[in-house]
Amino acid sequence: MLEPLFESEAKEKALLYLYTHGESYPREIARALGMFVNTVQYQLLKLEAGGVLYSKLKGRVRLFGFNPRYPFKKELETLLAKALSFVPAEDLDRFYRPRLRPRRTGKPLS
Amino acid sequence: MIDGTTPLIDLAALVCYACALAGIEIVLSGDACVSIYTQNKYESFDLDFVLLSNPDRKRIGRILEPLGFVKDGRHFRHPENSYIVEFLQPPLSVGQEPVREIREIRRGKMVLRLLSPTDCVKDRLAAFYHWDDRPSLHQAVLVCGDAKVDLREVRRWSLHEGMAEKYEHFKEALRQAAAKSGKKS
Repeated sequence: MLEPLFESEAKEKALLYLYTHGESYPREIARALGMFVNTVQYQLLKLEAGGVLYSKLKGRVRLFGFNPRYPFKKELETLLAKALSFVPAEDLDRFYRPRLRPRRTGKPLS
Repeated sequence: MIDGTTPLIDLAALVCYACALAGIEIVLSGDACVSIYTQNKYESFDLDFVLLSNPDRKRIGRILEPLGFVKDGRHFRHPENSYIVEFLQPPLSVGQEPVREIREIRRGKMVLRLLSPTDCVKDRLAAFYHWDDRPSLHQAVLVCGDAKVDLREVRRWSLHEGMAEKYEHFKEALRQAAAKSGKKS
């Protein structure tokens, strides 16, 4: 959908993933979307260099998220929200509707 | 020439001047501006320059290497001191708003272009507002104590950022700093 603008499907998908999940790391995004880690990492680092994303170390994992100081953050989020409305329902459930509420240790997922 | 005793302001002016000579416009932002406006009460080793255009990165390397800088990942370092020079992508902004006023400081024939004290305070507050970064709040307060800052403008910007509550924290920090120094806030 936004590929003509972003010039990369991986970039679009990674942005949609971060938009719906808040924060994540390259391996998790790559695994969830069925992409190569290097591809995702490359796009995330480019977005970070451009100020669109921030990254921070948590333990040994580098987490990425939307940079709240990016001047076009609101507009980008509006664009991504609109793009999400065009994503097929099946893909929405699979990739972009994460369970964010906590679940106690040991309790199986239903 | 650059050595271990070169002050931050001169190093920043030299980088700015060298880039300007090559037709690349840059503006110093971040906590280096705090160092400059507080006469080093807060010491920064990060020289973050925002590019006003999108030049080829290799060109920047060709400008800095004759000055003795060495590329280190995304940054440049000088073997004689601890400063890290980084070039950030445009636009030059504080929070959601573009920066309109660029301050200039002359150092001999060199001109350093940097954020105004008011935008420097906004820039530090943006880090406090969005990241809860307390050192940045402290830096904003330091700048207000040492430079002329338009606090009405800082208030307007803070409200525009949706940070009315955190602006009150800033005001309280200003009041406490003024009480400590015996100044009227």
